[in-house]
Formats: sequence, C-alpha cells, structure tokens
Amino acid sequence: MPEIFINGQPYEADPDQTVLQVALANGIYVPYFCWHPQLSVAGNCRICMIEEEGRGVDIGCNMPVKAGMRVLTESEEVRSHRKAILQFITLNHPVDCGICDKAGECVLQDYHYEYNGSPSMSGDPKVRSTKFYDLSDRIVLDNERCILCSRCVRFTHEISKSHGLGIEQRADVSLVRPSTDGSFRDDPYSDNVVDICPVGALLSRSFFYKARVWYLTKTPSVCPGCERGCRIDIWHRKPEWQVQSLDTGENTAIARITPHENSEVNGPWICNKGRDLARIFERRRADGAMLKGKPASVAEAATEARRLIKAAARPVALVSSWGSNEELEAFRASLGSMFTALVKPDHLPAAGEVLEDDLLIRPDKNPNTGKARELFGTAPAVIPADADLVLVWGEGCDFSKIPAGARIILLGSWLAPENGHADVFIPVSIQTERSGHYTNCQGVVSGFEACFPRAPGVADAEALFAQLAGAAP
Amino acid sequence: MTGRKILMNFEVTPDSHTLGAYLGRGGYQTIAKVLREMKPEDVTKEIVASGIQGRGGAAFPAGRKWQVVDPHDGQPHFLIANADEGEPGTFKDRWVLEHSPHTLLESMLVAAYALAARHTFVYIRGEFDQPYTRLAAAVEEAYAAGYFGENILGSGFSCDVYVFRGAGAYVCGEASSLLASIEGSRGYPRNRPPRLTVKGLFQRPTVVNNVETLSNLAWIIAHGAEEYRKVGTPKSPGTRLISISGHIQRPGVYEVEMGYSWAKFLHEDCGGVLHGRKLKALIPGGISSQVLTGHGAKVLTADSVDSLLLDHQALWDVGSSLGSGGMIAIAEGTCMVRLLQVMLRFYHHESCGQCTPCREGMGWAHRIIDRIVSGEGRPEDIDRLLHISKFNDGTTICGLGDAAGYATIAFIEHFRDEFEYLIEHKRSKNDGRLECLPEVANA
Repeated sequence: MPEIFINGQPYEADPDQTVLQVALANGIYVPYFCWHPQLSVAGNCRICMIEEEGRGVDIGCNMPVKAGMRVLTESEEVRSHRKAILQFITLNHPVDCGICDKAGECVLQDYHYEYNGSPSMSGDPKVRSTKFYDLSDRIVLDNERCILCSRCVRFTHEISKSHGLGIEQRADVSLVRPSTDGSFRDDPYSDNVVDICPVGALLSRSFFYKARVWYLTKTPSVCPGCERGCRIDIWHRKPEWQVQSLDTGENTAIARITPHENSEVNGPWICNKGRDLARIFERRRADGAMLKGKPASVAEAATEARRLIKAAARPVALVSSWGSNEELEAFRASLGSMFTALVKPDHLPAAGEVLEDDLLIRPDKNPNTGKARELFGTAPAVIPADADLVLVWGEGCDFSKIPAGARIILLGSWLAPENGHADVFIPVSIQTERSGHYTNCQGVVSGFEACFPRAPGVADAEALFAQLAGAAP
Repeated sequence: MTGRKILMNFEVTPDSHTLGAYLGRGGYQTIAKVLREMKPEDVTKEIVASGIQGRGGAAFPAGRKWQVVDPHDGQPHFLIANADEGEPGTFKDRWVLEHSPHTLLESMLVAAYALAARHTFVYIRGEFDQPYTRLAAAVEEAYAAGYFGENILGSGFSCDVYVFRGAGAYVCGEASSLLASIEGSRGYPRNRPPRLTVKGLFQRPTVVNNVETLSNLAWIIAHGAEEYRKVGTPKSPGTRLISISGHIQRPGVYEVEMGYSWAKFLHEDCGGVLHGRKLKALIPGGISSQVLTGHGAKVLTADSVDSLLLDHQALWDVGSSLGSGGMIAIAEGTCMVRLLQVMLRFYHHESCGQCTPCREGMGWAHRIIDRIVSGEGRPEDIDRLLHISKFNDGTTICGLGDAAGYATIAFIEHFRDEFEYLIEHKRSKNDGRLECLPEVANA
C-alpha cells in the first residue's frame, strides 16, 4: 500500500486509486463537477485542481497515486486556479437560481460561495442557447445552464447503455442532444441524468417548478416496482412547511422520488418506473369499509369477516406479494393455520414495460414475492373449486376465477369495482403510511418508513390479521 | 541554398511523385535492407542514436517515444502518421504528401517494422485534396508492387496502411483526439496518463508521428545515424521543412538545415519582406508554436530574428519554438490587434469544447478582442485577456488549450501600445491593416 502525503499528512492509498479518491475517502474535500464515482474519468471540468509539490497543479481525478508523493489541496495556487475555473464556468451560465429547480442542491451554487464569491469578471453578454429543450417527454434541458461536464452523456454510454445522448457542435456553443434514433426517449433509466447533473440543466418534467427543494424532506423507502427492491428516497413537504390553504393535498403528495444511494442493491441509480411511483400510490384510495357495498365501520367489517372465517369449511387466502415482511409474518402467525394460503402476484408487467435487463429491472413486478413464497410456499395462485371462502389481500385477483357461491373478504387499498361486490371489504394502508421491510430477489432486506399519516377509516393490515383471527379487537 | 537536403533532394517534375520515379531515386531499398538485415530493436536503436526530434511542434525525441513500445509484448501496436496539418501557417507536410508520398510510405514501413505494428494509418486532413489523391494513388502503387500487405518482399513481415481522412477539425491534429477520430468518436483529446504509447488507439500501444518526422526515417536508416548527425546542429540534427507565408517575397516550402542563419534565410533565400518593408514580427512555427513546451513569448520581433540560428534549442533559449515549421512574416505597418483578432477567432472556432478553460476562455477572449477592434474596448480588457491566457496555460487536457493563450500574451507583451491606442482612440494605430500593400500607404 503506497503512502501519500496530502497537505502534509500521510494517508494509505490503493495503487489504482486517484489522488482525488484518496482525498475524498479521508474526508478531505476537493470540489468536482464532471467526476462521478460510477462513471469513467472525463477530466473536463478542471475544478478538482490539486498541486503536486514541485510539479504544479493538475486535475486530481486523473492523478495516479505514486508512493511518497506530496500533494496540496488548499494551496494558494490551487485556490487561484479554482477561482479562475469557476469564473470560466459561470461566464455563460445564466445564474438564474431564483427560478431554477436545482437551487438549494446545486454544487455550482455551493462552490461559487465556497471557492469564488466574486462577481463575474466579464461585462459582455452571455452566450444564448436553447432553453426548455425536451430531451424526452420526461426531461427538459436548459442548454444555457449546462456546463458540459458530460456526466449525462457518459451515463447513457456506460451505465444505461442506451447511447442516447451526445454532444453536438464545438467550443462554447456545444450542445447536449439526444440521438436521432430515439434511444434516449426509450431509455428506462433516463431520469438518473437529472440526479447526476451537477447544475440545473437537466430537469424532470414531473418535478418541474413543483417545489423549492428546501421545503421538502426525504423519507427512506423501498421501490415496490419489481423484486429488485431498490432503495429510494420519497420527497414530500416538511411538516413545518405544510400548505395551509389552496391545495392541502400537496401536504401528503409525493413530490419526487430519488435513489437512496447504497452499495448492496442499486448503487446511485433507479429506473424510471421507480420515479413514477406516485402513479401507483396516488390512485384514488378506498377510504371506508363496506359490507356488500354498504358503508360500515372497520370494526363492524372485522366482526363480519371473523364470522365468515369461523363458518367456512374450506377457506382459501390469496396473500399479497406487496405485503411487508412484518405483515406476511403476522398473517402466518394469526391466520396461517386457518387458511390454505396461496401467494399471488399483485402486479403483472404492464404493456410495453421493460421486463428485465442487466442493470436493475427484474421480471417479477412485486417487491416481496420471495419472502411470501418462503412463508407460504410456491404453489400457483389457483383457487380450488371447492373453496367456500376466499380472502383476497391486495390487488391482482381475477374475481371471475372465484367459485360461484364462495364468500369473499377483500383487503384493498385503492378504489376498484370489486370492492363493492365483496362480502366484506376493509381498506388497508399503503407503503407510504407505514414502516416495514421487503426482502428482495438477492435476499437483501431493505426498510421503508412512513411518510404520511394513515387516514382514519383505513386499517393497518398487520394489526387487522390478529383481529380477524379472533383475538381481542 | 539553405544547406544540405534530406527530403527535397530531387527535382520536382510532373511525375516525380510516382513509384517509378521513386524507385529510380533508390526508393524501397531501405525497407528491403531493413527486412533482410535488421531486427526491430536495431531500427529503434538507430533512430534513438540519430537524435531526430518530432517535427509536429513539440520536438520530442522520436526515438524516446518508440522505446516505450515493446515490439515483442504480443499485443497489437499501431503506427499513425499525423498528416492533419491544420496549424495556421503550416503547409510543409503537404509538400511531402504531394511530391514524395512514397518516402512517407517507405519510412512508415521501417517504423512499423521497428514497432511491430501490423496496421498503420495516415490520418490526413480532410481539406487536403491533391495530397490525398496523390497519397491514395501511391498506396495503390505500393500495394500493387508488394510493398504492403501480407509477407512483404518474402520476409514474413506483414503490414497494412489505411488512409483516413479527417473531417476538418483543428483539434484532431492533436494525437489523442486524432485517435478518437479514427475510432469513430468525437474528436476530443484524452487525459494523460495513460500515454498513447501505453494505451492509444483501441487501448493499444500507439505511436503517432508527424509526416515529416516519419519521412526522415528511410534516409536515416539508409545512411546511418552517424551520417544524419553530421547534418544540422548537435542538439537538433537534420533538416526542417519550413513553410513560410505572410508578408514575404517568395513564400513556399523550404528545406532548411538546422543551425542555418535565420536572417540569411529570410532576407536572401526568401527574398526579404514584401515590398521592401521592414520586418515587424515573425511567427516562427505556426500560431501555436509553443504547443507543448510551455512558457514565454512565441512571436519574434524583428531585432531578435537577425542574430538567431534556425534550430530548436536556439529558439527555446529566446522563449519561443520552431513549432510546426509554419513561419509567418509580418511586415511593418500591420495592425497587431486585428491580427490577434484573426487568431482568436480561429481558436474560438476550433476549440473542441471539451474542457472548461479553453471552451469558455476562447469565446470570452474572442468577444473581448472583437469589441476592442470595433472601438468599444475598455481599459481593463487587456488584463482580462492576460487573465484568460494565464489560466488556459497548463489547465487544459491538451496542448492546444495552452497554446491558445501564448499568442495573446506575446502580442500584448510586445505591442501593448497598439492595444492601448485602439482602446483609447477607438481607431487602430495602423488603420487596421492586415495586408502589405506597395508604398503610397505609408504617406
């Protein structure tokens, strides 16, 4: 292990590391725009200048470690170069932070205050360029804000492999542009370029002008979109910034979803489906229990359900593959001995959805099938013809396959025509209203936490199962 | 005459570029000798001993570059002749390509043998029409005569040459972006390390040499390193092809022996400055003469030229360089501010846009100089130009970014009064002239 000296202090380094990596790993911050731990070294932003004693400044991201080398990250030379580079970068950047979605989490903003701080040295007009350029129907590009770090281009070449973006033209009129074959539009990972853009050049249509990021907070969660179970952050309004008038629904709405960086499951990436979870979670909710379509309280419905279970001779349960580990175990503990339990896929791949790829996306579009099968077996979800009671937990049940005459208990979360036909319907909470864990296809357990309060008329499945089994209400 | 000749040692006639004429001059005997008698290491040793420096601009010893490549390491190697002659004022390789393409091809065979390169490329500037036609015809002739292809001259050595036409980007004359261009991607220079001799074309060891450098090799091997060392000066052996243009009586390509007197070359061989004017400045080797060497001024003023010898070391000593051999003479009465404007427009237009200082800095400098020329300059503009140049030097991926600042620094250093005059009086001290017209204008 070679030892190198950063600002006079010795540090252990890996021979194939760069000086920038060694510095960052040891808590010495060096600014960077174009470098990204998951992407190849481009070395084009030139902000990560490091001085090697006796050899002058060079970029840290491409500086190989040599045993005994002495580098400085805060010398006068380094500071003046950083400042000059920031002057170059902001030369044609519009500095329209006031109307930029990235403001508040923009590294250019941070670096300007940290390393530059002076107004532009140029009094000349800035180079004008395209604004509001639609890279796809999901992503808007502002070429004036773009600092041409090429992170997005390298992402599509090296990670998503769609080769969907490239750079056109030369010099200060260079433009990031999508390839003409539409491969960026079809790239299922395209939204990651919004996260890795160090400035506000690439913006998400779904988050466009939605909120200033400092009004938002993030809650760690798990994407239920497929059995990969990527860790995500769900962004929603901070309690202290709740909207008091206008649309108070904003307070319990998902503002956006970003990857929760981790090395076990998904690194810093998620797919576009994960960004669009609001489309799944924010469908019209079922907000009250029903007995054959007539409104009832949860307690009344639970009593009726308990009666049906006691009376049944051949009860069958279709267990949800969207249940958390805790819920699945509660089901087995309370009701497992009373029912023939079958695991059903709640969601099947939608038309046109990417089934599987080499990066993250898996063919099973449910987060916890593995755990459910571990507890309830792998038998296919075919309801036996002699079943006289069917408990359906979650979505994805074809009600025409339920034997005529069998009674139905339905535990669902969203409005659906079937809700009113069930003998007993009890609304249950969704993932954003409770905490729990999923076990993904690799066996990694990831936890999610509640973002929003549970509505009064909605039950929590974990507690409900004990109630249905006959324990004290 | 400008000293002994190595490349221009024959009379140019309508068919002197053909294989027949070249064979008549003893062509392709060197490669036959090399294949028959020499080992790859011997060739490299001979080239190192000859001390030949790269003719593309940086004057890096060519042999030292070769030594990094191990011909027996089992991986593919590539040899590339850089014929992307885009440096303003430089048109010397064009002479070789038009009049002596077989010299280049034979020398490339010698080099390919030394480097164990199965595939070689000539990356030729896209705008070159006649040179391309002649080179392509020469390649056809050479293949037909069995000098390229499988089992050359029965030696078991095989080598192919591809002529690759560039698409008109100045930056593709830089070795690493040239490789990117051949690979089919955007012409962006690459970060070093790794060096191209370690990971070059398709991530394999690659040697990129200038056309003129390569063309000398056949002569060196044929006559021996010792004989080559007798030409030129001890530190800069050999000859240089100098393409001279601008305000000069007899512009053109000259082969000049190293160590030749500069004044004699300008005033006698080239007939002196146009219309008998005095020399105001001289750009010695392409407008980026300093491409990789670093510091100091690159424009020579009239006084410094007279005492100089034409040789790399002599120019480095006065803070310039012989660069790519593209000499531009500038006569008294030329507006240096407008001349700088022309240069900065070029650098702005040709900046590849990859790294920040050059991408933003060249546009910035160009806008400033445009404003100064149009009479809207501000006193602080001169410092801005110097600031941009200072922070372009050593902060960019390739040498072209460094070089772009040198012109500005040199022009302001030597002709600051012209800039100040234009900013203050809103008109040029020399009426904004770039042409050199016969007298009357001086009235």
